[in-house]
Amino acid sequence: MKRKTKPIIRILQYTILVIAAIYAFYPVWFAILASGRLGERLYTLNILGMFIPTEWTFENYRVMLFERPFLTWLTNSLKVASITTIASLLVATSAAFALSRFRFKGRQFFLVLLLAISTFPGLLSLVAIAQVLTALGLYGTHVGLILAYTTGTLVFSTWNLKGYFDTIPIDLEESAMLDGCGPLQAFILIALPLARPALAVTAILGFMAGWGDFVFASVLVPAPDSMKLAVPALYALANSMSVPWGYFAAGAVIVIIPTILVYLSMNRYFEGGLTLGGVKG
Amino acid sequence: MSGWLGKRKWITITLFLLPTIIAILIFNIYPILLNSYVSFTNRNKFHPNPDCDIFLTNLLDPLCWKAFEQNAPRGIGQPYTLAEPLFSNYDTLMGKLFQPEALIAVLLLLITFLPLFGANYLGKRQDRKINSQISKGMVWVIGFLVTIALFFLLNVPEAISKLMQTGDFIVVVFRTILFVALRVPLTFVIGLALALILNSDIRGKTFFRVVLFIPWGASSVAILMALVWQFLFRQQGTINQLLDLIGINGPIWLNNPILAFGVVVLADIWFSYPFFMVSILGALQSIPGELYEAAEVDGANWWTQLSKITLPLIRPAVLPAAVLTSITAFQMFGTAFAITAGGPIQGAGKPGATEFVMVYAFKQIFQSQNFGRATAFAVLVFIMLFIATLYSLRVTRITKGAYE
Repeated sequence: MKRKTKPIIRILQYTILVIAAIYAFYPVWFAILASGRLGERLYTLNILGMFIPTEWTFENYRVMLFERPFLTWLTNSLKVASITTIASLLVATSAAFALSRFRFKGRQFFLVLLLAISTFPGLLSLVAIAQVLTALGLYGTHVGLILAYTTGTLVFSTWNLKGYFDTIPIDLEESAMLDGCGPLQAFILIALPLARPALAVTAILGFMAGWGDFVFASVLVPAPDSMKLAVPALYALANSMSVPWGYFAAGAVIVIIPTILVYLSMNRYFEGGLTLGGVKG
Repeated sequence: MSGWLGKRKWITITLFLLPTIIAILIFNIYPILLNSYVSFTNRNKFHPNPDCDIFLTNLLDPLCWKAFEQNAPRGIGQPYTLAEPLFSNYDTLMGKLFQPEALIAVLLLLITFLPLFGANYLGKRQDRKINSQISKGMVWVIGFLVTIALFFLLNVPEAISKLMQTGDFIVVVFRTILFVALRVPLTFVIGLALALILNSDIRGKTFFRVVLFIPWGASSVAILMALVWQFLFRQQGTINQLLDLIGINGPIWLNNPILAFGVVVLADIWFSYPFFMVSILGALQSIPGELYEAAEVDGANWWTQLSKITLPLIRPAVLPAAVLTSITAFQMFGTAFAITAGGPIQGAGKPGATEFVMVYAFKQIFQSQNFGRATAFAVLVFIMLFIATLYSLRVTRITKGAYE
């Protein structure tokens, strides 16, 4: 249907959009500007410099990349987040397969139990988790952190994948089984490729759980510097009085911009890959 | 699936669920058990160690497990024991809630909000009737007016301030609920407005869509972006410099309880509105355009179209999202922690103005090391979240029918 919108309404719409766009983009833009500025402070008293790059230098980036253990932190974060992603995909897919393709006693109960215990906030179980990891000798290691993250993403991943598998008709697999496939083989060959959007969303959210987390990483791997993850290390950097803010800004930009780009490129998956009735966040 | 039967089926199921079960047992169920147990003890920084002769302590505390005795470092101090009396941690948090004065205050609050529930009920009944005498909007207006009248008649502000003196639990939870009640509707309105505009045939839609989507990406590294928000509102931050330019001497935002609260809400909306926007946009695109054409023919104006067509039709998609974001907002931690760290302080030993549920718990555990009180708090929060999640399941199930 084509109808002319009144000019006054168009102007109003554009005004709202422009204000919202400034609101959405300015904090990120502010961090980018600050990362190219030298000096002890994150802000500048030159008001123009708050909005357009009046001065620009890569000095902060150079210091962060070559004189600080920032690359190590990034590598640690990438390592932990990637292994978390793979582990949580494997565990959640296998659980979701069992919950979606088999009918058994206690299935509904198990699903609700998963949801119920996941309402206990992760932050509050942190002390207990730290104690268990200490007992297992995994406190302060990346393995312990990966285990904690993987479990943390498990409930969401399992529910989301199970919901998506349910929407894939089982007839396809059954006809493959008539041709001599086993149930598992049929599932892997036929259902999994069809579930690609859900797997992608699960993977990306699993990755972000490890990549962006602050509390678990700062409590479970508090030291030394060479073991730290990027986000808690940057947070500590911003809160230490002796470090120029520009360093923090440069580090933050290096972490934030790729994250935003990944989300933007995954945009269409988010609309299709989160299943109805599953847990959305 | 009929591929495997009998024993073989059960073995398969067990094998596929085993990793999940083990992980859940160690990292979810065990912490809940230990937490609940510790909430009945006096464990804190003066009593950090377990007394392994006590039943349950020797079972639950890893420091008492034979296999791990060498691995476990012990703190200096007395062993912790069961609290005396048993519920004393809960008592400090919300004990005074059960005294007559506080109970009366709770009753007053309930009476005040009763008309709203009544309006909701009546409104639904009116909806079902074909030729209703009173319109639904009218019922709601009356409900609101009665509530406002009762609010002043029963002196609700005083009742609230009385409740605030019953312990940290009510203070923190009340403040968090206030936060959720501000943040979620505002996020919804912003998301709806933007989605409606982006769904029209406006030029440059793709560009705005991409820009408006940015905060969602940034929200996964929330703590770093929250720090940036803090910088914007510092005494010499961008906001105050801009105010300076037009001759206003900006306030010290983060030192003022109300302003600091507002800043946290503003920053948290920034993180969360894209999710609503995308959900609503998806729902809008599934509404057939003929409905609006028909409404146009019948002479319906913009507002009637919005309230009679758009809102009812996006409800099944938006309601579960709203309930779930409410639960997430209730557990918000990073934004408040990075921007204000729970402050500004409102007197010694009292929770700060932006000390929401998770921030309070974090500070009790990691800064004061009041494990006993913190775990009691955790158990209370768990009960609340558990009920909320059951409710959200119901809502999701109800609305699911709309798609099938």
